[in-house]
Amino acid sequence: MKVLALVSDAFGGDGGIARFNRDLLGAIAGAPDVEGVDVLCRHAPRREAALPAKVRQATAGGGRAGYALRALWRGIAGPRYDVVLCGHLHLAPVAEAISRLQGIPLWVQIYGIEAWQRPAPLRARAMHHAHLVTAISRYTRARFLEWADVPAHRVRVLPCTVDERFTPGPKPEPLARKLGVEGRRIILTVARISRGDRYKGHDTVLAALKQLVPRMPDLAYVIAGDGDDRPRLEQLARDCGVADRVHFAGQVSDSEFLDYYRLADVFVMPSAKEGFGIVFLEAAATGLPVIAGSKDGSADPLADGAIGTMVAPGDAMAVAEAIERALGAPRPDPQRGKRFEPAAFRQHAQDMLQFHARTAP
Amino acid sequence: MCGVAGIFAYHYAANPVDGAELRRIRDHMAARGPDGAADWFGGEGRVGLGHRRLAIIDLSPEAAGPMATADGQVVISFNGEIYNYRELRAALEGEGARFRTHSDTEVLLELYRRRGTAMFGELRGMYAFVLWDAAKGAMLLARDAYGIKPLYYSDDGWTLRVASQVKALLAGGRIDRSFEPAGIAGFYLWGHVPEPFTLYRGIRQVPAGHFMWVDRLGASAPQPHASIAQVLAQAQPATGSDATVEVRAALLESVRYHLVADVPVGLFLSAGVDSGTLLALMAECGYRDVRAITLAFDEFAGTEQDEAPLAAQVAAQYGARHTVRRVSFEEFEAELPRILEAMDQPTIDGINTWFVAKAAREQGLKVALSGLGGDELFGGYPSFQAIPRWVRWMAVPSRIPGARELFELLLRPAAGRVSPKLAGMVRYGGSYAGAYLLKRGLFLPSELRGRLPEATWREGLERLDAVGLTRRALVPDPGNAHARIASLESQMYMRYHLLRVSAWAAMAHSIEVRVPLVDPALLRRLAPWIRSGAVTGKSVLAGVPRLPLPDRTRQRPKTGFTTPIDRWLQRALRREPAQGPWARAWAGELMREFGQAA
Repeated sequence: MKVLALVSDAFGGDGGIARFNRDLLGAIAGAPDVEGVDVLCRHAPRREAALPAKVRQATAGGGRAGYALRALWRGIAGPRYDVVLCGHLHLAPVAEAISRLQGIPLWVQIYGIEAWQRPAPLRARAMHHAHLVTAISRYTRARFLEWADVPAHRVRVLPCTVDERFTPGPKPEPLARKLGVEGRRIILTVARISRGDRYKGHDTVLAALKQLVPRMPDLAYVIAGDGDDRPRLEQLARDCGVADRVHFAGQVSDSEFLDYYRLADVFVMPSAKEGFGIVFLEAAATGLPVIAGSKDGSADPLADGAIGTMVAPGDAMAVAEAIERALGAPRPDPQRGKRFEPAAFRQHAQDMLQFHARTAP
Repeated sequence: MCGVAGIFAYHYAANPVDGAELRRIRDHMAARGPDGAADWFGGEGRVGLGHRRLAIIDLSPEAAGPMATADGQVVISFNGEIYNYRELRAALEGEGARFRTHSDTEVLLELYRRRGTAMFGELRGMYAFVLWDAAKGAMLLARDAYGIKPLYYSDDGWTLRVASQVKALLAGGRIDRSFEPAGIAGFYLWGHVPEPFTLYRGIRQVPAGHFMWVDRLGASAPQPHASIAQVLAQAQPATGSDATVEVRAALLESVRYHLVADVPVGLFLSAGVDSGTLLALMAECGYRDVRAITLAFDEFAGTEQDEAPLAAQVAAQYGARHTVRRVSFEEFEAELPRILEAMDQPTIDGINTWFVAKAAREQGLKVALSGLGGDELFGGYPSFQAIPRWVRWMAVPSRIPGARELFELLLRPAAGRVSPKLAGMVRYGGSYAGAYLLKRGLFLPSELRGRLPEATWREGLERLDAVGLTRRALVPDPGNAHARIASLESQMYMRYHLLRVSAWAAMAHSIEVRVPLVDPALLRRLAPWIRSGAVTGKSVLAGVPRLPLPDRTRQRPKTGFTTPIDRWLQRALRREPAQGPWARAWAGELMREFGQAA
């Protein structure tokens, strides 16, 4: 079986979608009956990256139109494929055209906000022709089905997997010293802090912190991630009277994440618009109690409460209570999110490919 | 009548089955099965089946559900009756099968073990079931051809939940309760929610005559195993002259099968031809001392609408033990909250079934035959005359570009004085599906605009595709006008309305309603006569009993079971008489009750 994958970025890219694509493409390439996976990226890789066996990656730059033309040309003049995998709803019209040109089934992966509302007509129409849509979470699947004219049995869930390097470990003292939080009990949020992403729930955690500090004076709040909303959050911390215990760590690189999780005592992100929220899985695997919002895709990494506590986003009192309870309880089992381990993901992704190739007309 | 429940945590990321959730779903259906409750867990904690039992065939505890094969590889939770289970059992024993019980459930299990999904063609009965096949690691959901037995499921992408009732699934507490606009729009168009929709986005009905597989990758597309339209379409028109002989033989056979039970079988008896004929045929089958129930209302005393005197005459003629159950406004008003509670999905009637089933239970019955389906098969509704006429008249105008809009424009000044259906005549009247919408519609699509929020009616109508949905009942083409209407009425009004009402209103009183006139084997025998034009009208049915029905029954215009519900509802709701048909006002009340105010 030969697979053509159209993605925004994958190997050598940053961010959650690139990571998901790497996991998915790696899994598919690992299937015994897959001869090769040709990956066509919309964005150039930011760094050199090793490719798994059977994967070839190319970049088609030149803007959106350039990418579309290059991809279409691949569909017309390139080799014959058996499946076209589209790694983003925005690329679905091109992928759909290739699917028609070559007469092969189309598989589209959807993540979060991009799939929650009816997109532009061209994209919506392309999605209607998808033979298989995999959603990163139950929530994204449900939101997609609200507008998409796709039978429910063609829309399945393929969740994120968690990297095996996330394991419990001692608190990294150098990082504690660097942030000035030695001896403190630490609340951690890992997320961008951009004006466009105010749904992440930092405001709610600050309000909760204000309620907790009188009872728990050793608390500190570490915000990992940077963005243009930082000045507002700094002001909010001052307004709440907790500025002295809120630490903005700025941009954190991929390799530093593990240390931040190990440094923390509880992971909190009462977000309202997560497609999935892989950070919850990483935090849980590191042995942290996790607190998330209850109204979005976060329900999946939290397994409806089996892995962490879900609270109504914006409810500072509920967040405060959940933090207090988590800090008063013994450390949870880091294996409780084991269901999301890479082996299970790989098997499911490969089965999904088989199913797709078998059932598509 | 039993209640089935199941949970399959099929996805690798899903939580294992929560036994407490399964029991909440199961026990919400206690009225469907007061004789026992049990559950079964397997698949390493990823599968749970629950069952509430109304014991009718093989009353022993060994025949309780969920039932497993001896090797434990196949487990079933089953609602319904397999009327030909004795023949099937004999055939399976001939193939070497051994049985532990005398139940139809075990026959179904064994038949599946040997035939897989090829078994459906051999089943004569009404059924909905959930079956777990351990060797395949998959769950099978299925419903009978007509959709007599309900089966609803919810698939969130990780876990599939299934039950006989929508409200039972909701009682489990894990299902998204957001409303389905197509379900709401469908309810306003017809007065019931059409399959596969429900009022909730997260819950769907397994389509009638379909089965579907769920494995660890999720739920596959429902696959058809039977089709009413196809039976009619494939029938060769009969060439013989005496339809009555064949109709009589086929009906006797159907009634005989529908009497298979280890408890007494009663009858809902109106003053009409359908139930009267059933009573006559029960007597001809040698079934004695039938307990027959008739509803009566003080409001109708001394009028043509009072069914009691004529029903009593019929009962006496065929030797039935007749019970006339009087229902007063006061009783109706006192019961209304329970009726609304029991109403699984909104349907604009069901009050009569509620009380006749209540009366049957009072008489100690568990099972009753109903004449439901006679109008659909023999053409008892005015739609059998009206729709073909409309289609003839409108065939040309509906195809003239701009004619629909022009006609609607011409009638606009008369809006409020003429029926909106008249205005829709050119738009819809030119096809069977469109004309059916006109004939059976409670509201027309254009009327939803002012009645529902814009997003709801717009999205609802688009997702529903009312005419397209109706047209599916005509594929493949049943062949002639009568067959087309029979197919439409059987697969729309009867399936979504009458049978569903039987399911919730009779179920609330733990009564199993059996419908000998709704039977695929009967349809197969009558189809050639329907196609030849010999079965056109209730007189064919009325001519079946060897001892003829009283003349007054044979000549009585169609009323069905009637109730003074319009007057009662106005009194109960303390409203002035509503403008227009009462059903429209009642529809609005029901939607308020279901939390979706118009």
